[in-house]
Amino acid sequence: MNIKFSGVTKIFKPDIIAVRDVDLEIKRGEFVYIIGATGSGKSTLIHMITRETLPTKGSVSVGNLNLKNMKSSEIPYYRRDVGVVAQDFKLISHLTVFENVAFVMETMSVPPNLVKYRADKVIDQVGLRRRRNMTPLQLSGGEQQRVAIARALANTPSLFIADEPTGNLDYHTSDDIMKILLSINASGVTVVMSTHNQSIVDTYPQRVLELSQGRLVRDEQGGGYFPL
Amino acid sequence: MITLRYILRDTLRIVVRNWVLGFLTLLTAAAMMWILGLATLCSMNIQSLLLRLESDLIVQAYVHKDSNPENVAIAIRKLPIVADVRAISPDDALARLQARMGSQAGVLNLIGENPLGWSLEIHVKTASGVQGLVRNLMSMSEIEDVVYSGMVVERLASMSKIADSATATMFLLSIMITSLVVYNTIHISLYSRREEINIMFLIGATRAYIATPFVLEGTLLSLLGALIAALGIIFTYFPGVRALQSALPFLEIVADTRVITQFCMLLVAFGATLGWICSCIVAMRFMISTTKPL
Repeated sequence: MNIKFSGVTKIFKPDIIAVRDVDLEIKRGEFVYIIGATGSGKSTLIHMITRETLPTKGSVSVGNLNLKNMKSSEIPYYRRDVGVVAQDFKLISHLTVFENVAFVMETMSVPPNLVKYRADKVIDQVGLRRRRNMTPLQLSGGEQQRVAIARALANTPSLFIADEPTGNLDYHTSDDIMKILLSINASGVTVVMSTHNQSIVDTYPQRVLELSQGRLVRDEQGGGYFPL
Repeated sequence: MITLRYILRDTLRIVVRNWVLGFLTLLTAAAMMWILGLATLCSMNIQSLLLRLESDLIVQAYVHKDSNPENVAIAIRKLPIVADVRAISPDDALARLQARMGSQAGVLNLIGENPLGWSLEIHVKTASGVQGLVRNLMSMSEIEDVVYSGMVVERLASMSKIADSATATMFLLSIMITSLVVYNTIHISLYSRREEINIMFLIGATRAYIATPFVLEGTLLSLLGALIAALGIIFTYFPGVRALQSALPFLEIVADTRVITQFCMLLVAFGATLGWICSCIVAMRFMISTTKPL
């Protein structure tokens, strides 16, 4: 799924400019890091892809869809094709690991037997089979993030968005999460990941988009956290 | 079918997790519906009493000697306020007068020829229209004079108006309180799950899918509240009627089991509909405000 930002500016009321005149294109199957200091506009950019935020100027399109013109009734169907992982995991605390993953498919009226098969499959994929019946509060941060990844994978999305997925995790856990994200990308899914994690970007070089004060200041293929 | 199954399961989860607030809402809704039901039954009884009194109201119209009373009666019968018209012949009128005078009826023999003319006894449908009817009759050339109990008519009409206003006020008040309680409960229920709702929306659940369990919760609470109220009415109204009838046997009270059962069924349906409408409004408003993009 291609992502295209054309002259995108986002101004939050009263006059906070989060993103300024961003033009970029992410091609299908790419793995892209979005880096930058806190407040540089990374999350706003990510939220514009998930359509939690609309651009003030310009347009964002994903595949053939112009997100700004999308009807509110079309949003859920769009989001079902986009797997989202957040820094704070966004899991439903009273549901078990299995139920959190299964829930995504249930909203699409997938029959229970197929829900069970697919949920177990993605839970296995992130290595949480033994934690299947635990609630998020019984899991470590790394495990919770794996649940979030499993949930994002449940609908076999063609676009995977990760907003600082290693933000709350130690080096080893971050490394494990990164390997899972790379394996997802290897299966042809476009992955867009915002991060502050220098070692991750340096260890697993991919295309880097750097934001500073809302502007896109670097777009480098295979670059590290800092420009060469 | 599968979606319905998932939605019903989520509704059950919400009701179980929110049971304390739900229980309080149920009690409040039941109490309000009970008051609403009893107030309506009370009003039904007042209306039926007034209707009976009104149907006993008679306007007496005296017909000119040259006019045909039957033709006049036919013309009056066509007026919408009129329930029935009876022509009273001079002989009948004299017989009535004699009966009313009792032992002094002999005085009438001194007059010789019957001095009474034809008159019409007009029964009306409601007291409020009597003044207009009298004006109408007075304007008819065939009518010589009109006699009616002006004060009684006016009082009945004003009592009927007061009863109508009191019922309407009670009805509106009960509906407002019940709606407010259901609205707030569902709003609290939604608010306490706003994080969850955001997550659901983010992973592709539709507004309808997210909102339906909350709407069902509100409908269920109102339905159960109305059911409890209906049972409460059955267990309080009939003993009340029996007590009243033994104290005031001349009073005719609505106590037909079939009518009361139908009324209770209507109350339950009304309660469920009210809950459904309130829950739909609050859930949709919440969904729109929560899921609006920045």
